[in-house]
Amino acid sequence: MLSMQEFFRMDRWPNSYCPGCGNGTVMNCLYRALRDVVDMDKLVMVGGIGCSARIDGYVFADAIHTTHGRAIAFATGIKLGNPELDVIVVGGDGDIGAIGGNHLINAARRNMDILVLCVNNWIYGMTGGQVSPATPHTGISTTTPEGNQEYSFEFVKLVAECGANYAARWSIAHPFQLIDAIKTAHQKKGFRYVEALSICPTGYGRNNKLAEPAQLFEYLKSKTYILKQNGTHGSGIAVNLDGKFALGEFANRDRESYLESLKKQEV
Amino acid sequence: MREFLLGNEACVKGAILAGCRFYAGYPITPSTEIAEAMARELPKVGGTFIQMEDEIASISACIGASWAGVKTMSATSGPGFSLMQEGIGYAVMTETPVVLVNCMRGGPSTGQPTKPAQGDVYQAKYGSHGDYEIIALSPASVGEMFMLTIEAFNLAEQYRVPVMLLADGEIAHMRESVEVPEKINIINRKLASPGIVKEVWKPDEDGIVPFPVFGKGHRVYISGTTSDIYGYPSTVKPEVHEAVVKRICDKIRKNAEKIWRYECYKPEADKIIFAYGLPSRTALAVARDTDRAGVFRPITLWPFPEKPFGEIVAGKDVYVLEMNYGKMLYEVERVAYKHGAKSVSFLPKLGGAIHTIKEVRKFVGVD
Amino acid sequence: MKPHINEDYCKGCHLCILVCPMKVYEKGSRISKKGAILPEVSKPEKCPNYKKKVDEKLTCEMCVLTCPDQAINFLEG
Repeated sequence: MLSMQEFFRMDRWPNSYCPGCGNGTVMNCLYRALRDVVDMDKLVMVGGIGCSARIDGYVFADAIHTTHGRAIAFATGIKLGNPELDVIVVGGDGDIGAIGGNHLINAARRNMDILVLCVNNWIYGMTGGQVSPATPHTGISTTTPEGNQEYSFEFVKLVAECGANYAARWSIAHPFQLIDAIKTAHQKKGFRYVEALSICPTGYGRNNKLAEPAQLFEYLKSKTYILKQNGTHGSGIAVNLDGKFALGEFANRDRESYLESLKKQEV
Repeated sequence: MREFLLGNEACVKGAILAGCRFYAGYPITPSTEIAEAMARELPKVGGTFIQMEDEIASISACIGASWAGVKTMSATSGPGFSLMQEGIGYAVMTETPVVLVNCMRGGPSTGQPTKPAQGDVYQAKYGSHGDYEIIALSPASVGEMFMLTIEAFNLAEQYRVPVMLLADGEIAHMRESVEVPEKINIINRKLASPGIVKEVWKPDEDGIVPFPVFGKGHRVYISGTTSDIYGYPSTVKPEVHEAVVKRICDKIRKNAEKIWRYECYKPEADKIIFAYGLPSRTALAVARDTDRAGVFRPITLWPFPEKPFGEIVAGKDVYVLEMNYGKMLYEVERVAYKHGAKSVSFLPKLGGAIHTIKEVRKFVGVD
Repeated sequence: MKPHINEDYCKGCHLCILVCPMKVYEKGSRISKKGAILPEVSKPEKCPNYKKKVDEKLTCEMCVLTCPDQAINFLEG
């Protein structure tokens, strides 16, 4: 079992995140999920741009902090360049779902052998709190000062529908389930997507009268519910219409992965 | 062994011989044949081909695969080249070897997809934001599509830098016979010593940082953000960024003399025609029939072969041929006048029209 | 053992106070060198790990798991 010192770059602590940022909690869950099974010399963390993507620099493994939104494309090249590598993409709702959207859906469709950990805090945190495709309807942000008129993406549903081998969503208020989801995803082949609903007290909280981390944490937890087995969630489309977030596994398949089909062609 | 090849196919042949084992690209006229040939040939040598969803994904995947230790390439044309600029900047910043082919076509915008042009030659050097240097090569024949692609890989590996092959659409689509040599000189990137690499960005004496391939236990953090020598973000102190800019630029600037490749034909003549790519074939045809005109053909457009060109232009009239409305012209003017040239004239060809021998003879004044 | 808060890492977010099911923590009055209002371990005896020895497996680690700054450690006491 790897110690914190073996898994994290503890020389970089205290971490640069704001007080109460959910990224730190996600890192704890990532550590717990991987500490018994990961080969740190084969692990490659791939992050885009944003606070959540910076988790890539806190893990003591090879890591590449790429251009905004393109982590999944870089990860594709890394994995195909050396299929022995254990490639994990980490990023936020904006990086992975807005600018990175095209790469997200195509990698899912291809069932590319990478694990994507999306930390969804409903906002563009690093740049000061602008709206993201995940910002809830009516949410205030610096670019939606009168309240977000758009409805947010249900990325996990989208990715599930694109044929990913694994798509699950939990939150930082459900650390045990989040750890299990990452563990399960890590063992599978193909495209695996784990979304962790998280909090950004600085970017989202402050703009929406939920500035205290504990306040925002409780608010987030109150908006989640656990999906019943074989249950349909919310609106049935990949858009959130009711402001509630279903948690659970949205896809758990064993469709032929990209590398598996590549191997087949070689024969 | 002599083979009759399409320009684009010669490029692929050279790439594979140079050791390219990964191609991520997107179809775009007139470069598509490169992707198609790679799709056929790469699996035969154990390489991987993938058609990505766009050019941005293509360059990203190429950079990723390069970090996994593989020689990678992508090919595109103007519109795709524009999309790749952010990725190019990233490759430069992270000193990632990658080869990019731009089969230039009429621009700007969608322009003339099937007509050759040379409008992107400045974009190759200045297309991405910030301060940086790259290497760009200009082939003038199918044979050079083959040889210069190998050169491109060698230069990319040696200098840990993206290298562009700027072919015009006509060179990409013409067919000529090529002498494929038995032996090829291949250069591979200098690798980091085994073990954890703490000083990720410490260059050796030669100015080149050893490359820490992923998955070898080096545990390196690579980032496009300005970083300190350990790879951690350090964006506030001016001296840190200055050191980064100087490292990525000086390795090219200080080694420019070793990187320059050019052809000088009858340099003693009073008139010097400056041309590269397709128009250089016309220039050479004109110069063959007269002693009054010589040709300076840059093979490396960047770094611009300033010294060898400057040495032959004092007191002379310089004639520039380009398939654009003025690009290398400005570099020529700068260098020529600095070295005492008498005059610099320009004959542009736009829309895919080609310089004819007759009009160049008239333009240069040797008819 | 007792939970121990690393004052160099703690940023005073107080999520530990919220998530602890046994109300072991409460908002303290001390301010760390970094300007964080430190939580106080006011009822350590309520913690399910209280009777355990150091290095024994923890019964409950909600605070450790949640702390965004990895500032909580269980130590002798």
